[in-house]
Amino acid sequence: MKFKWSVIKQHLMTGISYMIPVVVVGGLCMALAKIFGGPMVGDQVNTIPWMINEIGKAAMMFVVPVLAAGIAYSVADRPGIAPGLVMGFIATNIKAGFIGGLVGALLVGYLIVFLRTRLKVPNSFRGLMPIMVLPLLSSFIVGLMMIGFLGEPIAYLQQGILEWMKSMQGGSKFILGAIIGAMMGFDMGGPVNKTAGLFAKGLMADKIFGPASAMIIGGMVPALGVALSVFVAKKKYTRAENEAAKAALPLGLCYITEGVLPFAASDPFRVIPACSIGAGVAGGLTLMWGTASQVPHGGIFVVPLMDHPLMFLLALLIGTIVTATILTLIKPNLKGEEEAEAEAEIGLNDLDIKIG
Amino acid sequence: MNIIGVTACTAGIAHTYIAKEKLVKAALEMGHTVKIETQGTIGTEDELTRQDVEKADIVIIAADIKVGGKERFTGKKVIEVPMQMVIKSPKALLQKIEEKLKG
Repeated sequence: MKFKWSVIKQHLMTGISYMIPVVVVGGLCMALAKIFGGPMVGDQVNTIPWMINEIGKAAMMFVVPVLAAGIAYSVADRPGIAPGLVMGFIATNIKAGFIGGLVGALLVGYLIVFLRTRLKVPNSFRGLMPIMVLPLLSSFIVGLMMIGFLGEPIAYLQQGILEWMKSMQGGSKFILGAIIGAMMGFDMGGPVNKTAGLFAKGLMADKIFGPASAMIIGGMVPALGVALSVFVAKKKYTRAENEAAKAALPLGLCYITEGVLPFAASDPFRVIPACSIGAGVAGGLTLMWGTASQVPHGGIFVVPLMDHPLMFLLALLIGTIVTATILTLIKPNLKGEEEAEAEAEIGLNDLDIKIG
Repeated sequence: MNIIGVTACTAGIAHTYIAKEKLVKAALEMGHTVKIETQGTIGTEDELTRQDVEKADIVIIAADIKVGGKERFTGKKVIEVPMQMVIKSPKALLQKIEEKLKG
């Protein structure tokens, strides 16, 4: 068994990848219900918007269970799915939310791996291992732990975080949003970006949707800002970069930060700070102005479904201008025709080819 | 080289396919043959067949999440890398693999 952070993160990411469509269904249904039925849609029993709202609520019930099932599946393969679902549901029930589901799923997953390697059974019983012994024993043990003593402190911690997030006003909201935004803009889909995304998406499982809008804006600003900088200062960029900017614009609008990669790879020390600062400003403003997104993906297409969409657009515009301005100012003029497509050498030395 | 591989990212809608494109482009430019399977949210596409696996010299798994069907590659040379590396420096990665394979 390995307990490296990168391995654990891969498990968490797998869980999140299964969770995203559930959040999308739930978030979109609830947002649509609110658009058609108003903020009190929950009281208008048996109207169509109310029904859509009920669908959304049903999906939201499954967010943490599916996350937990995905994590446990990643750790322990198929025997992990059922116990993961159960742990996720327990976590939801005891209000231990996202963190509870995550802890329960990792525990149950690793317990299954442990049991599978240590438990020696006669051949005639082997068929029972994956469908009975492993799921039952692991659910039993971790379930008792969760309900018995782990759940309460986690629920406490979880509630504390939620209260803290809700109580935040003006300045501190700006700082949180700025941190999320800046992290999103920092490495375009790399580990820093993923950590911020993990945090924002995790809070969505607990119905805190503000950080998600900071996350989305942080993922959109870099590509838009760089594209804008290229359009206003064409001469500072190579022909290839001018072409890449045309791709970066739609990519940015669709919340695909990778549009920046060609620029960041060839000039990281100017492009990354410019992207981070612009994304940070936009993230801070959007959270401070109270926008919130119930949908974790989709870029410009989900803006109409957000709370305070116009504020989001304004923050997006400001962030884009900040990034573009900084980048245009610090970018030197081209010296001759530099067309070399630079490739970053990242961690290539510890490549490990396995036979097996 | 005869390269096969699998890509899979967290959301399963964008990076999975960007990584595939980068790998295929780099491999073709360097004169290799290549086939990449994508495991996106939509499901598995361009699935690697048993013949693909048999012919392959190297299996590149570029993923941020758990990849399905790894047992297909038993006995093959397998290299697992984060998505980032494939997207940022596909050519350097392939060069490095070539060096390593030659010993």
